[in-house]
Amino acid sequence: MVDKGQVIRLCRSLLRAGRQLPDYNIREYAKRRTFDGFRMNKNLTDHSKVEKAYAEGKKQLEVVERVVKVYLAYPPKTKNIMELKLH
Amino acid sequence: MASMAAASTSLQARPRQMVTAVKCFSQGSRSNLSFTLRPLPTRLSVSCAAKPETVDKVCEVVKKQLSLKEGDQVTAATKFAELGADSLDTVEIVMGLEEAFDIEMEEDKAQAIETVEEAAELIEEILKAKA
Repeated sequence: MVDKGQVIRLCRSLLRAGRQLPDYNIREYAKRRTFDGFRMNKNLTDHSKVEKAYAEGKKQLEVVERVVKVYLAYPPKTKNIMELKLH
Repeated sequence: MASMAAASTSLQARPRQMVTAVKCFSQGSRSNLSFTLRPLPTRLSVSCAAKPETVDKVCEVVKKQLSLKEGDQVTAATKFAELGADSLDTVEIVMGLEEAFDIEMEEDKAQAIETVEEAAELIEEILKAKA
């Protein structure tokens, strides 16, 4: 039985994992995609669907962690312009 | 003519008024006791344990995340739910706060945050532990 706390915890772990990505674009995408994914399934009431969505979320968490390792092996040499604080 | 000092409220930064009793003897047979209000130097009466700068910064992040208009009130006691945020929005706000203050919050503590005040206090706790 997947409860709300577990869902929130999964969301947070996905966000935290995505934060480690060195490339600005994929980092922002990870953040955007987690929120979109969770908001899309926010109103699900059917228990089996909730479990399926939760399982998919867990799979995506593994994907993100793997992708982080790959990206950290070849980090970008320069900062993206969006990351520079230009005032 | 007597005027009573207003009772101190829980609002922060409200200039407190001090009551001074001024005895004035009128020409008549009665002596009047009249109270005058004298403004005290403005003191921040802290109703929550967090510093006001922290609270302000938290309010700013919250306003930006929830896209609130300028007129909307965000104070220390505001609950995120009052501002129309559901649990996912709260997660987003907490993540935004972690980035703004460059800290890492623990899962259980972060999940318990419901008001601006709690967030500010937790942030200060972590910053103090880091220093």
